[in-house]
Amino acid sequence: MRSKISFFNGALFRKNLTRFWPLWGGASFLGCLFPLALLLQLVRRGGGYRMESPLSFTEFYYNVVAYALPIITLLYAILCAMLVWSYLYNSRSVGMMHTLPITRKGVFVTNFLSGMAMMLIPYAVTGALCILISLAYGGFEPVGLLVTILSVLGESFFYFTSATLVAFITGNLFALPALYFLFHFLAPLLDWLLSMFAGNFLFGLDSYYSGVVDFLYPTVYLMERVNVNRTYENIITQTSITGAYSETNRLTAVTLENAWLIGVYALVGIALLALAWLLYRRRRSECAGDVVAVGWMKPVFRFGLAALATLLGGQALYALFWSSFQNGSYYDTLPMTVCMLVAGTIGYYAASMLLAKSLRVFRGSWKGLVLVAVGCVALCCVLRFDLLGISRRVPEVSQVEKVTFYAADNNYTLYPGEDDALLEQLRTVHKAVVEDQDYVRDYEENRMDTVYSDDTGTMTSTYIRLTYYLTNGLKVERRYTLPLTKYRMAQGGTYDNLLNELVNGEAMKARRLHAGDSRYGVVSGNLWLDYRGKNFDLNSREAAAVLEAISRDAAAGAWGDYDWFDQNGSSAYAMNLELRFVCEDEWGTGNDWISINVRPGMDNAITCLKDLGLVTDQDLATWGEMEKMENYSEANEIYETDSSIGIIGGADGPTTIVVSG
Amino acid sequence: MIEVRDAVKRFDGFAALDGATLSVPTGSVYGLVGPNGAGKSTLIRHLTGIYRQDEGTVQIGGGNVWENAALKARIAAIPDDWYYFMQSTVRDMMRFYKGFYPSFSMDRYEKLKEVFNIDEKKTIRRLSKGMQKQVAFWLALSCMPDYLILDEPVDGLDPVMRRQVWSLVMGDVAQRGTTVLVSSHNLRELEDVCDHVGIMDHGKVLLERSLAQLQDNMVKLQVVFQDGVNEVPPELPVLHASKIGRIHTLIMRMNAEEATAKLSTYNPLLVDAVPLTLEEIFIYELGGADYAVKDIVL
Repeated sequence: MRSKISFFNGALFRKNLTRFWPLWGGASFLGCLFPLALLLQLVRRGGGYRMESPLSFTEFYYNVVAYALPIITLLYAILCAMLVWSYLYNSRSVGMMHTLPITRKGVFVTNFLSGMAMMLIPYAVTGALCILISLAYGGFEPVGLLVTILSVLGESFFYFTSATLVAFITGNLFALPALYFLFHFLAPLLDWLLSMFAGNFLFGLDSYYSGVVDFLYPTVYLMERVNVNRTYENIITQTSITGAYSETNRLTAVTLENAWLIGVYALVGIALLALAWLLYRRRRSECAGDVVAVGWMKPVFRFGLAALATLLGGQALYALFWSSFQNGSYYDTLPMTVCMLVAGTIGYYAASMLLAKSLRVFRGSWKGLVLVAVGCVALCCVLRFDLLGISRRVPEVSQVEKVTFYAADNNYTLYPGEDDALLEQLRTVHKAVVEDQDYVRDYEENRMDTVYSDDTGTMTSTYIRLTYYLTNGLKVERRYTLPLTKYRMAQGGTYDNLLNELVNGEAMKARRLHAGDSRYGVVSGNLWLDYRGKNFDLNSREAAAVLEAISRDAAAGAWGDYDWFDQNGSSAYAMNLELRFVCEDEWGTGNDWISINVRPGMDNAITCLKDLGLVTDQDLATWGEMEKMENYSEANEIYETDSSIGIIGGADGPTTIVVSG
Repeated sequence: MIEVRDAVKRFDGFAALDGATLSVPTGSVYGLVGPNGAGKSTLIRHLTGIYRQDEGTVQIGGGNVWENAALKARIAAIPDDWYYFMQSTVRDMMRFYKGFYPSFSMDRYEKLKEVFNIDEKKTIRRLSKGMQKQVAFWLALSCMPDYLILDEPVDGLDPVMRRQVWSLVMGDVAQRGTTVLVSSHNLRELEDVCDHVGIMDHGKVLLERSLAQLQDNMVKLQVVFQDGVNEVPPELPVLHASKIGRIHTLIMRMNAEEATAKLSTYNPLLVDAVPLTLEEIFIYELGGADYAVKDIVL
C-alpha cells in the first residue's frame, strides 16, 4: 500500500516543512549563534589553544540543558504547534485537509512528526556545529553528548506533546497559546491563589505557596531541580625558575543532577500524546473557530474561568476597595464574598461570551450564575468557619519526619525518635493555641494595640512559627502572633504557660545551643557592640570558644531563661551576639543563626569575650542604661537659634560658633 | 453510486441534516438544489468526509466515506470556498495533490494546462477568484476521480470558461463514467448538465427524480376558456394560476396528457402544454414547503 493511505504521508510532511521553514530556519540561525560565540571565544584565546578537558564542553552543554533548555523549549514548542495544527482553526483548511485521501490517524502522525522535526532541526544544527568545534579543539566527550541529546529529545517531546494536546482542546489559534501557558502555569497559580486566600481566612495558616503541585509546573520544576554538578581537583604547581607555588583547579567530573526527571516528563509526554490522539479522533471538524473545541470541556472552561476570576479578581477587588477598612490580619467575610461575587460574575460572563462567540449570553444564564454565587458563599463560609478543620489540625508525632519551631528569637528542629517528649510538649502548646483561637483572634483583630501600649510589664506578644514536615512529603505550616500575660502564664494549661515551660525548659535550652547534636557545627559568629558602635566577625575558633563559655553559663543557671516580658533585653548588655551553625541532615545542608542575650551574671561568656579582645568594660552597659543615656542626650540636644550663633574672625577666614546654654 | 440514508447532523441542537436520503446513480450528473440553509453544503461535507453524521449512513460505491482513505482517493471535491496554501503556486499544489491521489495524472495535468492557460508558477493568492476556481478544476480533474463533488462550482467563472469546464466534466462522465454531484443555485445551468435532480429543504431531500421524470410530473398549460368562464374552475388541481388577457397560465402536478384530458371537460378554446424549466419546478415544488416568492411591496 502506498504511503498515501498509510499513517504517514510524505507529501504532507514535506509541505509542512517547506511551508513553515521560516520558523525552524530562523530558530536554527539563532541556535548557530551559540557555537559561533564558542568558536570565537576559542579562536581569541589563540590558534594553538586546546580545551584543558573535553569536560569543559560537556559542562557547556549541561549548562544549556539545565538552565536554558526548559524555557526555550516551552516557547518554541507552542510556535511549532501553532503552525502544524493551524489547519484546525479555519473551516476552509479543515475542509481541504479532511477531504484528502488520508485518515485522521495519518494526519495526526504526519503532522506530529512534522512538528517534532521542526522542534529538533534547530537543535540538530546547533549540536552538529558544537560537535564539529569540539572535535576541532579535541573536546569530544560522548557521554556528555549523549546525555545532552537525550535531554533535548525528552524535553522537546514533552513540550510539543503538551502543546499538541492543548491544540486539540481549542479551535481558535489565538486561544491556543493562552490555554497552553495556562496548562503549564495553572497549578502554581491556583496553589498561590488558594494558599493566599486560605491564609487570609484561617487561623494561623502560614503558606502563600504550598509548592505541593510544583511538579505540574515543569519549566520551573526542571530548572530548579536539574543542576550541573562539577568536581574539581586542586593542582599545586611549582615554577622551576622562582620555585613559587601556584594553585589551580582542574575539572575532573561533570554530571547532570536529576536528569532522570527529564525522562519522567518524556514518559508523561507519551501519556499526553495518547490523550491528544483520543481528543483528535473525536474532534468535530465543525468546531474550527471555537475557543473550546471539546464539548464536555465547555462547562469546565466556563466555571473554571469563573473560579479563577473569583479567586484572583475577588482578592484584587478586596485589596483595592476594602483592605483599608479591614480589622486585624484576616479577610472580612462579607466584603470578600461581595468582591468574589462581582469578579465571579465577570469571569462567568466573559467565559460564556468566549464560548458563544457573542455578547448576547445573558438570557437564561442565571442558573450558572447562581452556581457561581453559591460557590463563592460556600468557599467563604467553609474557610471563615473552618468547616474542614484545617486550623485545628495538629499532626501526630507518628505522621512527622521533623518539626521546625521558631520561638523566642530562636529556631529549633525536633526529630521523632530523638525528641519525642519535646515534640509532644510542642503539640500540647499548639493544641492550646488552637483551642484559644477565638481569644487570640480577638486580640489580633481588636486589642493588639492594648498589648503594644502596655507599660505595666504584664502584657506582651510573641510570634511563633511551626512547620511539620510530614512523612507523606507535605508540610503543615502555622504561624501565630500570641498575646501573653503574666496572669495567664501563671495559670497551668494556658498556652502562655505551656509555651514558657517548653521554651524555658532545660531540654530546649540545650537545644537552643545545639548542645550534643552532631548534626550542627558552629562555624562563625557576629558581635555588635552598641556602646562603641563596633562590629566584629567571629571566626569558627572564636565562635566555638564563645559557645563553650555560654554553655558553662547555662550549666551554672546564668543563661537560658527567656524573658517574655523583656524581649528587647533591656536588662541585657548592649550588644548583639549571634552564632552561625551549619546543619547537615537528610534534608540537606542548612544554616542556623542563634541569638544570645548576654546578661550580667554570665561571667564565663563575658570573660571569654574579653579574652578574645572583643569586649571592654565600657561595653558592659545594659540596653536600659544605654536608653537612659540616649534620653539624657536627647534632652540636652543643642539646637541652633539666631541668638546662639555668632561669627568670629580668624586668619583662615570667618568661623561660625554655636553657643549652647 | 452515492447513497445517503436518513442522515442526521446536529449543530448545537439544530438539525442541519434531518433525515436526508439521497441516491445518485453511477455515471449520472446529479443536481442538488435547494434554498439557502437547506443543508446542501452540510450534505456535501459528509460526502467528502469532513463531517461525520450523527445518525444514518453516507456511502459512496458501497463503502462508508468516513475515515476511508482508499475510497476518498477516488473522490475529488471542489467546495464553494476552495482552500490553498497561502504561498503556494499551482505547481506546488499539484505536487501536494499528487502526493495524496494515487491516480493523479500528470498527462492530464499537462493537457489541462493548455485549456486553462494559467501560469503554474504564479502564486495562487495572486490569481483572480475565477482563475483560482479554474485551478481547483485543473487539479480536481487531474486526480482522475470516479466521483466528482462540486459545490457552486462555476461561481466566478466567465461564460466561456463555464462552458469549457462543463464540457470537461461532461467529457469525464461520458468517457470514464464519472459520477458527478453538483450543488448550485444556477438552475438554468443545471438544467443543461444534470440528468438527475434532488431538491433539499430543511435538512431533508424533498424529492429526487430524473430531470425527465420531474418535468413529466408537472406541467404548465396555457388555456383560453369559453366565453363567460373568467375564473379557473375550482375543482381543477392547480398549483398556481395566473391570467393575462383571456389566457390563463396553469401549473398542475400531473403530466401533460392527463392535464389536457382534465381541461377538455370544460371545452376550452385553446390548451397548450409548455415544458417547465427547472427553476419553475424548484419554485412550485418548494411553494408547498412554505418557500415561495412572496409579493412584498416595499
